[in-house]
Amino acid sequence: MLWLLRRLGTSLLLMWVVATIVFMALHVVPGDPAEVLLSTGGTSPDAYAVAELRTQLGLDLPLSVQYGRFLAGLTRGDLGVSLVDDYPVAQEIMLRLPRTLELILAGSLIAVAIGLPTGTLAAVRHGGGFDRGAGAVAAVLQSVPVFVLGTLLILVFAQWLRWMPAGGFVPASQGLGQHLLLLSLPALAVGKGLAAVVYRMTRASVLDALSRDHVRTARAKGLTPRRVLARHVVRNALSPVATVLGLHMGALLGGTVLVEYVFNWPGLSTPLLRAVEARDYPMVVGIILTVSALFLLINLAMDFLYAALDPRILRS
Amino acid sequence: MHTPTRRTVLASLAGLASLRLAEPAVAAPQPGLLRYGLAAWPPNLRPWVSTGAAAGTVKMLLHRRLLGFDDKGELRGELAREWKLDADGAWVFTLNTDALFHNGEAFTSADVKWTIEQVAAERSTAYYRAQMQQIDRIETPDAATVRLVMKEPLATVPQWFTNYNMAIAWHGSPDVNDPVGCGPYAIAAQERGTFLELRAAPHYWRPGLPKTRTLRMVIYADENLRLAALQSGDVDMIEYVPWSGMAAVEADPNLRLLTQNGPFMDLLFNGTRPPFNDPRVRRACAHAVKREDIVRVAFFGRGAPLEGVPIVEGTPWWDAELSKGWNYDPDRARALLAEAGFPNGFSTTLLSTSQFGMHQSTAEIVQQYLAAVGIQAELKLTDWSTRVSLGIRGQYDIAVHGVSADFNDPDGLTVVLDTSLSAAHGRSFGVQAPRTVALLAKGRAEFDQAKRVEIYKDMQRAALEEVPMVGLAWRAQGYAMQASLQGFANLPGALSTSSGALLEFTGLG
Repeated sequence: MLWLLRRLGTSLLLMWVVATIVFMALHVVPGDPAEVLLSTGGTSPDAYAVAELRTQLGLDLPLSVQYGRFLAGLTRGDLGVSLVDDYPVAQEIMLRLPRTLELILAGSLIAVAIGLPTGTLAAVRHGGGFDRGAGAVAAVLQSVPVFVLGTLLILVFAQWLRWMPAGGFVPASQGLGQHLLLLSLPALAVGKGLAAVVYRMTRASVLDALSRDHVRTARAKGLTPRRVLARHVVRNALSPVATVLGLHMGALLGGTVLVEYVFNWPGLSTPLLRAVEARDYPMVVGIILTVSALFLLINLAMDFLYAALDPRILRS
Repeated sequence: MHTPTRRTVLASLAGLASLRLAEPAVAAPQPGLLRYGLAAWPPNLRPWVSTGAAAGTVKMLLHRRLLGFDDKGELRGELAREWKLDADGAWVFTLNTDALFHNGEAFTSADVKWTIEQVAAERSTAYYRAQMQQIDRIETPDAATVRLVMKEPLATVPQWFTNYNMAIAWHGSPDVNDPVGCGPYAIAAQERGTFLELRAAPHYWRPGLPKTRTLRMVIYADENLRLAALQSGDVDMIEYVPWSGMAAVEADPNLRLLTQNGPFMDLLFNGTRPPFNDPRVRRACAHAVKREDIVRVAFFGRGAPLEGVPIVEGTPWWDAELSKGWNYDPDRARALLAEAGFPNGFSTTLLSTSQFGMHQSTAEIVQQYLAAVGIQAELKLTDWSTRVSLGIRGQYDIAVHGVSADFNDPDGLTVVLDTSLSAAHGRSFGVQAPRTVALLAKGRAEFDQAKRVEIYKDMQRAALEEVPMVGLAWRAQGYAMQASLQGFANLPGALSTSSGALLEFTGLG
């Protein structure tokens, strides 16, 4: 319990630090929301209009006052409204966060579905043709940037074959088939790097487990190779794979930015990019705080999962 | 009974998958629905605040202006049927009183008066605030007539009322940021940043319009994805066709491309300090750059060199000789530098943004050509917000910019050429160009067309000497669509970004 409370307290402190750094950084870098908004499209706004808009947005107040108001709002759970169109930040996040999470989850599932069996098979047949081929494919998957792969997928499946839409989003409630179709390519792009990581980790862990005494004993007892693999090898090899998966799932939050942009997937990335461009402070801070909280939550969940997979951790 | 083997199961699954995939997964065009790929999410739809061309396109569909343009770019009435200058020098607009607002209220002169008052208000942030403040008195003798008495004679007043930031709204609107409009469409559904669905407004007064009942505008911020969406049939029409993809659109018999050279790239200067406070140095820069390379590299050949003041070819103010006033002549550039006291050139900085590829490519080419005449310019590439901020504060030496005039009349270039206006990122900072500014004002106040033509030719001559900016390249503004789409036109020159108003006439044939 104390451990949990300590973890939560540290997390809250970290989030305050993140919020403060982002808030201050956005105010320090050049660029003014009023100037940017009224200059959209290259037009040259009247200086009076810019000054008036700054007043209306409260940007003429001292930074300390703006920060104080921002923190006061946070303590009430109020993330504020967008400087661009008065849209509530929390509402925007609530709409888009599930889509980003869905993309990450789908990408992770693809990664596990590809990486786990391939890694296991490569370990079982290590040194063979399959092992070498899978290793080469993993290296390619890991090194190809997501925007390159994303563009290639669009080119092949949307423009040449015309099997898929080029991008976009349809809510599952309006058509599950179309929703999954639109999810498939971005999920593949998100999951490809992680698939390579899961493959490598699984291969290494299974190889390690295969050389253990208990596996040799299991074989000596006359268990079938499939049973040995499932019960005594893969299960023991899963703990490090789960840890790596957890760590990388957090990192996927960053990786989705490009994928969402390339595939026009309306998750958190698009409003974040737009808000950074527009210097829309409340929106940027709100989204980054949400992402930070998610990252911390994923890490916490992975700690629990790791303990569940290997009970010795809890006992220690 | 036959037991299926693993092989037969896998083969069956593969067969099913290929059957599913053999059918195109994209939606086919539907009558009554036009799917439009919008280049950016409109930051907001406040009718009088300038928030970019994408917002302008939507605003032109939700609202009506007093005047608009036909597909040749000629002025035509929207809410005004006629417009003229009366004997006392006031502008008189006769209104189309058949028009109804989305709430069913009739359009009257009171709405025009109210709109102008909102735009000109003390705390207004409207794009045309300064212009509307030049109206001394708004008279509404009856419901169908508005008479604008100007503080000074102004020939270009009708042009103001064509701008997409000058929508006329209902005078009883409870929210001035979201007033009731009388355009062909109303918003039926939207998701911030993702899509806007417009539905034909129930009280729209023009028979048979809009041609398409539902207009679904999907945001594709990435230009290549926008093009891919058109090619794969996800949308019926896109704006801001990437230059790199124009050839592919032209080669596809199912698609149609409409382009106009309207927006342009230019060089701006900080004239508050040496060396760019000297017009000879600015002119040297103008002669140093070979524009063809900008058109070829930055715009894939889709544009035209701009070697003078950005006057659209084919308009009465265009002059073949003046349009070459800043022709590529490196020897002349070196001579001008020597004359200005820089025979060995100098070092400086060149500001641009890396956020838009065309800005960056243009800046890189300019940098090379400046170096060839002895001007060593260090490239400073920033994000757009920083570029705007540095531009407004004059924290640069030379800057690359891309913009469009407000309209095709030379007065539409005031926003670029009149350096006496307040500091802006799209105008040179502190450059003295008194003759250019004076001739712009003179042209604005002259009503005789022949005299105006001569005044604006003089203005071009003055600008070629004073160099308030340097024209670099016209860039093609493109719309691409399914070949079966009819009724749309890309308006000429600076009006290209106002073409969205013609979506009212657009439908699948």
